[in-house]
Formats: sequence, structure tokens, C-alpha cells
Amino acid sequence: MSDGEASCEVADPQESVPSKETPAISYPVKVLYCPECSLPLEYCEFMPDAVQQRCRAWREKNQDLLSQEGVDIAALNLDDSDSANKKRQKRGGRGNVKAKQKKEPDVVKLARIPRGKRKFVTRVTGLATFDINLKKASKLFAQKFSCGSSVSGDDEIIIQGDVTDDLIDLILETWNEIDEDHIEDLGEVKR
Amino acid sequence: MFKKFDESENISSTNQLKSSVQRQIRNKIIEQMPEIEPFLADIWPKKENAKIIKCHDHIEILSISEECQFFKQRDGPWFPTIKLLHKYPCILPKQQVDRGAIKFVLSGANIMCPGLTSKGAKLDEDCKLNQVIALYAEDKTHALAIGLMKMTPQDIIKVNKGIGIETVHYLNDGLWHLRAVR
Ligand SMILES: [Zn+2]
Repeated sequence: MSDGEASCEVADPQESVPSKETPAISYPVKVLYCPECSLPLEYCEFMPDAVQQRCRAWREKNQDLLSQEGVDIAALNLDDSDSANKKRQKRGGRGNVKAKQKKEPDVVKLARIPRGKRKFVTRVTGLATFDINLKKASKLFAQKFSCGSSVSGDDEIIIQGDVTDDLIDLILETWNEIDEDHIEDLGEVKR
Repeated sequence: MFKKFDESENISSTNQLKSSVQRQIRNKIIEQMPEIEPFLADIWPKKENAKIIKCHDHIEILSISEECQFFKQRDGPWFPTIKLLHKYPCILPKQQVDRGAIKFVLSGANIMCPGLTSKGAKLDEDCKLNQVIALYAEDKTHALAIGLMKMTPQDIIKVNKGIGIETVHYLNDGLWHLRAVR
């Protein structure tokens, strides 16, 4: 892909800046994102302190992984010595980076919702907090229970019929990351 | 554009695209970002179905292989998402702000001229007015925002006041956190 490399240099006439990435790039470029704040690791230092603490903790736990990927941790300057440096920066306006809203605690909630006099549907919420593909999950439920199932919201699946008991077993079997403590059975609720 | 963007509130519908429309969009993107052409087959394989996610404020997001790859507003240009830009940094011309500007950009501020002319910044003087650019920062390897030139580089140097680049999409905004799986 000599085309691509050439264009890279054209795009940056001052050439000194991205010299780090110039030698033999292969595409797509792999960027390591911080699992805590979701940004490239080099931008963790701009997150609010509370988030940075989690970033820092993650790095300490995963030093092996980082050195494997060839990341120079020291260069990411994510320690307190830098905060003095930050305070010196003075400019107008509000420069506070907002943290991503904390997601709800990771709990899968099951609820039985009456439909008419003696029929029910089962509502499952919270699967998305485990990074589960809702569409696939819904399909799986439909298959296993031979019934209708649909993704009905941001993080909500509705299954036709009352399948709560079997559903708990199926969820536990299917996704190892969810164990019994993560599932909450709300019982019968009104819509 | 995505400062207050929320998946549950701002998305109105998701549609499959007809192949004729897909072809049109492909051509538009290549016309607008010629550097992307060698990679487009990887980013958007011929057989891969594209979906358009329609959002409020006339924003449309193009999702390919269940990931947000491009977006546009009204009849404006197509922008790559930052995630895509990170994979293929060559596809856009680059501008660089100084370190002090980073936290403002990350809270969604537009780029003021002094942030582009000070020591630590780098201004590519070949950029045109209203060109889509990738925004980098002093001492950083990866882009932190996608922007639109609101002044010519020459004016940015000469006037050195006001908004030089409009920040369209930045790390940690609503689009950055949008999952395309739907
Ligand atoms: Zn982080």
C-alpha cells in the first residue's frame, strides 16, 4: 500500500510531528483504548480525577499487557505530578471534561408483565450492560422457548409468555460473565 | 454536534440502504476524501450491508458492519467517525492544537485561533475553507476530534482571533459512545 504511505506524508508537510507513526504503517492502525474511560490511553490524563483513578488502577493491573503491546507507560504521564502542570494552564471558558455517565450497575432484571387476564410477557433488561448483543440474545430466546421475542428498547427484550424460570437457567448457561447474583427477578410488575 | 447526544433520545429510525443509494454515498465519500479510496474496500466491503441511522437535527449516521463509520448533517459533507479515523489516519488533512487546548476540545469547544498558532500547534496552510480535517494535539499520536475549517489558515494566522475550526465530533462525545448494533 505505498499509496497510503505517500499520502500520509503529503497530508503533513511539516513532517516532524507524526514521525512516530511513519515507519511502515500497516492498516488499519490498531489503537489501544482505555477500558475505563474509553479514550486512547494517551488521553486518560484529561479525564476527571475520579475516572483517572480507575484508569490508573487498570494500568497497574495490566502492565504486562501494555508492555506486550509496546506501550511506554511513563510517556502517558498519568500521575499526580502532572496535576501541578495542569493547574498552570489558564484560559477562558470552562474546560472540564465530563465523565461519561456511569451506567447502571450491572444487573439483569427479569419481570413478568400481565397481558390480558391470564397471559404474560417477560421483560429482560440489563443485558446490554454486559455487552451482549441484544438482537442475538433475543433470537436465542425465541428459539429456545419457541415463542416470539423482540428487542423493544435501548436495553430491553420482551419475550412472549411467562418464561422467567427457564430464562434464568438459560442466561446462566449462555453467558459465563453473568452469575446468579447478577440476576434479579422482579416478579409480576405492571407495565 | 454530539455534545448532548443520547442514544435513547436522539435517534429516530434505522434503515437498510438500497444498493443504488449505497453506490451514491460511496462515490460522494471518495470524491470528498480521495485518500480513502485504497481503504474503502476494507472499510466498506461490497457485500456488506450499510444502515443509515437517522437522528434528530437532520443528522445521519452510516453504520457498516455494525459500527458507526461515517456521519453527516443535512446536505453537509460526510465525516468519518474518530474510531474510523484512528484506523486510517491518512484519510484527512491534519491540524494540530497545543496541549493547553486539549481539555477544551474534549469538552466540546470549538478551536480558537490562538490554539492553532501558538507554540506546540501546527497549522497546515494548504487547507481550504470548510474542509473536513482531523484534529491532533501536541505530543499526542492519535486524533482527538474531527473538525471543519471555519477560517482559511491564512486568516487564522493574520486575525488570530475567534473560531478557526468548528469541532464536529470529539473523543468522549455522544457519537463516540454510540453503539451501532441495532
Ligand atoms: Zn482511561
